[in-house]
Amino acid sequence: MIRKTIQNILLEFEPKAKNILPALKKTSAVFGYVSEENAKIMAEYFGVSESKIFETASFYDEIRTEKQPDILIQICNSANCTINNSFEIIGEVENLLKIKAGSSASLKFKLEEISCLGRCADGPVMIVNGKIYERVTKSSLHSILEEYL
Amino acid sequence: MKDIKIITEHWGKINPLKIEEYINFGGYGALEKFVLKMNPEKAIEEIQKSGLCGRGGAGFPTGDKLEMVAKNTSETKYFICNLEESEPGTYKDRLIVDNNPHILLEGIIISALSIGAKKAFIYINGNYEKQKEILEKALAQSREKKYWGENILGSAFRLEIEIYSGAGAYICGEETALINSVEGNRGEPKLRPPFPTEVGLFGSPTVVDNAETIANIPWIILNGGKKYSAIGSKNSPGTKIFLLNGAVEKPGTYEAPTGITVKKLIDEYAGGIKKGKEFWFAQIGGACGKLLLEKELKVKMEFGKECECPLGSGSILVVDKSVNIHDLLISWTDFFRRESCGKCVPCREGTFRLWEIAKRFRDGKISDRDKKAIEDILWTLDNTTFCPLGKFAGTAFRDAIAKNILTF
Repeated sequence: MIRKTIQNILLEFEPKAKNILPALKKTSAVFGYVSEENAKIMAEYFGVSESKIFETASFYDEIRTEKQPDILIQICNSANCTINNSFEIIGEVENLLKIKAGSSASLKFKLEEISCLGRCADGPVMIVNGKIYERVTKSSLHSILEEYL
Repeated sequence: MKDIKIITEHWGKINPLKIEEYINFGGYGALEKFVLKMNPEKAIEEIQKSGLCGRGGAGFPTGDKLEMVAKNTSETKYFICNLEESEPGTYKDRLIVDNNPHILLEGIIISALSIGAKKAFIYINGNYEKQKEILEKALAQSREKKYWGENILGSAFRLEIEIYSGAGAYICGEETALINSVEGNRGEPKLRPPFPTEVGLFGSPTVVDNAETIANIPWIILNGGKKYSAIGSKNSPGTKIFLLNGAVEKPGTYEAPTGITVKKLIDEYAGGIKKGKEFWFAQIGGACGKLLLEKELKVKMEFGKECECPLGSGSILVVDKSVNIHDLLISWTDFFRRESCGKCVPCREGTFRLWEIAKRFRDGKISDRDKKAIEDILWTLDNTTFCPLGKFAGTAFRDAIAKNILTF
């Protein structure tokens, strides 16, 4: 079943070097990550080695090479969001969910500190499973997280 | 001079999703002039005369870059619009697309044709999904009008344009890293020389220009390079989009002539320091930017080797005294630790160690050994890293210590 779908994804792309990155992005978005099995199929399709596929995949933030937790929370800690108290929000998430930023210990949650998304006028910025929230405060944080818990 | 607007002229006046509205304002007139009345050599000459230089931060003369590739006899050439905007605090290129994507497309088409490229890429930040959609719509409209594709405006010129979406890597704003990523590789910078103008995308001569730089091209073609060179600073003429954020009354985006002082930008454009806040320092040009104290705010914002303070991407973050400097220190160092590509040891290790030290600062656990190490790490980053990311990774840290913003 999975095998069929990765092939469907690949059919959207011509087997050219410039399509490796878009194909990896798509695969990661559809499956949540690029698995070893899928990397093998992609390597065959593009006529490159499997290590080459992983080498590229592992470099980019938007492409994951490991299975992701159910709920991925990302908070910007670049300068503009920092002066809008993003560290307070990060600390609050850590306390609420009993996790540490950057740690993969929990299978359910992961908290990541991320770089600027260019939404500086509306910081602090938080992303939960791809959905963007702006001007997050301690109180709005609670209601946002409730949607996911 | 204060009111001169080149890039933001149409903002708010036109519907960015309707090409007709841009055309009604004279849009694509520069492309018509280029195709019908000029030739590539003449266009590049005007751009050289204008003194336009790269708005991504490096400030390289745009006309010279175009000329290098135009003179190359290679059959295949590429033009890339760099929209991988990810410098913290910077979103000027996003706003250009939001407010007037066609000025960018017009600039891309003219630039690409002037160097003899038949293929242009718009390399866009992977997070800019909405902007990608806007550009797709704008591209469809302009193709229908024969502004690109086969036989542009009935001439023999032809050009294909493709949007290429990045995947979340700050370093891909560096041109050789960007090229690596389009080639399906890790986005690590390559050794220069050879420069992309000689050996670029897939081995062919390539010009990579920042989106804001490109948005100046139509105005230059229409009004002439000489007129452009009279605007703003002598060494790096023109206007620049500045982004003011932090403790100011009216945070936002302002187009102003280059050479303007930081003080004027804060006071006259952004409405001054926010009421009830006490100015501490301003950071110029994103995470890799210098810090300026109150007495230094008279420096002029310009590009070039002799400038007092590199203006970088044009973002200005005004920090007031209520901000926790230890948080900011972690923010800066964590950014570079995360975004260091790992290719060279001084940057990979240096950014990591600085981040560790920043955390110890916050926790009040700074040791004598750390104090000595800071100087070593900063020197190593400044002098031995492979690309500019590492070189500038310690700028804010160094300034914070030198200017007594951060005390032991």
